[in-house]
Amino acid sequence: MNLFALALGLAVYVPTDAPAQSAEPNTLLVLAASSLTDVLPAIGAQWEDEGGVPLRFSFDATSRLAPQASAGAPADVFVSADEAWIEWLEVRNLLLAGSTRVVAENELVFVVPSGFRQPSGAVDLPALGRIALAGENVPAGRYAREALVDAGVWSTLENAIVTGGSVRGVLEWVARAEVDGGIVYRTDAIAEPSVRVAFSFSTERLRPVRYFAAALASSSDTAAARSFVGYLEGAESASAFRRSGFLIPSSAGPTQGPGAAPAAIPSVASAIRLSLIVALLATLVGLVPAVGLGWLLARHDFAGKTVVSTVVLAPLVIPPVVTGFLLLTLLGRQSALGAALAGLGLSVPFTVIGATIAAFVVGLPLYVLSVRGAFEAVDPLYEELSWTLGVPPRATFRRISIPLALPGIAAGAILAFARSLGEFGATVVLAGNVEGSTRTIALAVYTLLEAPGGRGTTWTLVGASVALSLLALFGYEALSRRQRRRVRDDHGL
Amino acid sequence: MVSERAFRGWSLDVRIPLSERVLALSMATQKRTVAIVGPSGAGKSTLLRVLAGVERRATGTVVVDGTPWLDPEGGVLLQPWERGVGWVPQEASLFPHLSVRENLRYAGASDEAAREAAGLLEVDHLLDRRPRRLSGGERQRVAVGRALLARPTLLLLDEPFSALDRPLRDKLAATVRGWVDDRGVPLVLVSHDESDAEILADEHWHLSQGVLQPSSGTAPNEGTRGRAR
Repeated sequence: MNLFALALGLAVYVPTDAPAQSAEPNTLLVLAASSLTDVLPAIGAQWEDEGGVPLRFSFDATSRLAPQASAGAPADVFVSADEAWIEWLEVRNLLLAGSTRVVAENELVFVVPSGFRQPSGAVDLPALGRIALAGENVPAGRYAREALVDAGVWSTLENAIVTGGSVRGVLEWVARAEVDGGIVYRTDAIAEPSVRVAFSFSTERLRPVRYFAAALASSSDTAAARSFVGYLEGAESASAFRRSGFLIPSSAGPTQGPGAAPAAIPSVASAIRLSLIVALLATLVGLVPAVGLGWLLARHDFAGKTVVSTVVLAPLVIPPVVTGFLLLTLLGRQSALGAALAGLGLSVPFTVIGATIAAFVVGLPLYVLSVRGAFEAVDPLYEELSWTLGVPPRATFRRISIPLALPGIAAGAILAFARSLGEFGATVVLAGNVEGSTRTIALAVYTLLEAPGGRGTTWTLVGASVALSLLALFGYEALSRRQRRRVRDDHGL
Repeated sequence: MVSERAFRGWSLDVRIPLSERVLALSMATQKRTVAIVGPSGAGKSTLLRVLAGVERRATGTVVVDGTPWLDPEGGVLLQPWERGVGWVPQEASLFPHLSVRENLRYAGASDEAAREAAGLLEVDHLLDRRPRRLSGGERQRVAVGRALLARPTLLLLDEPFSALDRPLRDKLAATVRGWVDDRGVPLVLVSHDESDAEILADEHWHLSQGVLQPSSGTAPNEGTRGRAR
């Protein structure tokens, strides 16, 4: 598994973004569950070789694709990993009548990092440490939860479970041994050499993991869309699915399994509280580095200044998901630093500490830039004067530079606080999306947008998020103005 | 009154790379009060910055009262906070976040001393104001007071009263002259005002186009030589 796959699994958090530009004539846009990323293009190539209409694919979690389709994405075919989402589209009259087909099945398996102890069944799981699942409202996460509930171990495991975004993200955590095991689809496990399948969850009682294909009512070429759905059901597709580890259902058509797990609705209060705590901690932790680096960059010339400045500012432009990945590499429990911290009782991944570190790193560039600007606005003449009055640099820094730059330092703190509030990408990779310990407002909104019935709660959080951010920016503006006034005081005779 | 013989004068011979040229300044004097006059832009303020120790680009030699302050060969560099100069830069630059009283007491002077100095410079009614509520001339007087209160071993004044009208200007110049004479504090004045220079300094130098030389009529005493480069 590489960085790209991880980013693919975790990066998308504006689910209503249209996945592609409007379909060109004579191509079909296929929205498909991300667990089909490897197999569908192979089937599509085969279909095109046989003279089918050219295809384009957009892969993502079904829970993100379905709202996209409903929001008017110009797509033709939908392939879902979850029956619930097909029904969701059906009741909205977004599917072509009678076009829904079951095209493949998958299996839920428990994987461990290679070399780790392999539990032989669900009953062994409470003896393990941390277990990763996909997000509660992502199909793979829902299936996994249902399987653990069915095995009677859910309540004992609840504290050991960390949740992330997609199955691919879970697989990455297992492959890097950040967790002791995780629940993924068999097909994903096969594709990842660094994990071992310990056991499979398939039992008669569980709802089967089924892939449903349907033609979308919005299709501009409904005949071709229906035709491709039929092709997915055919023999050529079946052998391609089998080669990738999928199962082919013996009986066609949707079958009703036992009730699906209800959508998970994150706690609003917990998300807001956590956001404030994490952002506040990140701002406090960042104060000394931001003032130190801001001062260094504003007042000193030294070899490697450009390098220092570049490294500090890098998180501003590096995608947060990538920053999270690098932090996980640096601070994960497989790293020397992470192991040392764990020895001190400071576990970084999947904890508030991890969320704080992610917010700190991503917020630091704005912090430093703001503080640096504040120091640069202070005329060095004041510091020089203070020296000549017998006050050495360190005391001058305390008595002159800091007080004169104070509004700007405060503005930087507020900006870093605001950025920390909005942090998502690095947090979800480093700290996961764990209710009550790392699920901040941004992550809660992300979780809710994947739940079919989560829109009401979403608006509460969206409101809170926008209000907090605007309030912070307002404070920033006011303090910046004050900083400009402060250093303008005494000049000009 | 301290005897003038106690002061052994000062000399400097430095080069300062400015952005467009290298400024070379060289002079030596044994007088306690010296004025440097000349057109603006000639480097007069830079000379004061060198003596104050805040001109970090300067290389060469500075000797004040027999003590090397800057001596690249001997490696002696007396830091600005170790020099005990009272520097009043041209911009007057009061610390904007401090009141007049706090500015005056910045170097550790007592409240009583601060009030006394403020009275001397006729700013005692402004003690609790912030610098931004002062006129240019008031700021200059507070800045001079702050420098005097630092118990300077060398007073450096850069156009100290330029924002004042003539009668008050001369009066305050005389006040400061009296203050330094009473205490035997050496003084370097930078100005392009002849009257300031007459009142405050016994010896006048002229700096123009990079050339620093004694003005005619106030020739340096024997043993004092100026070189121009």
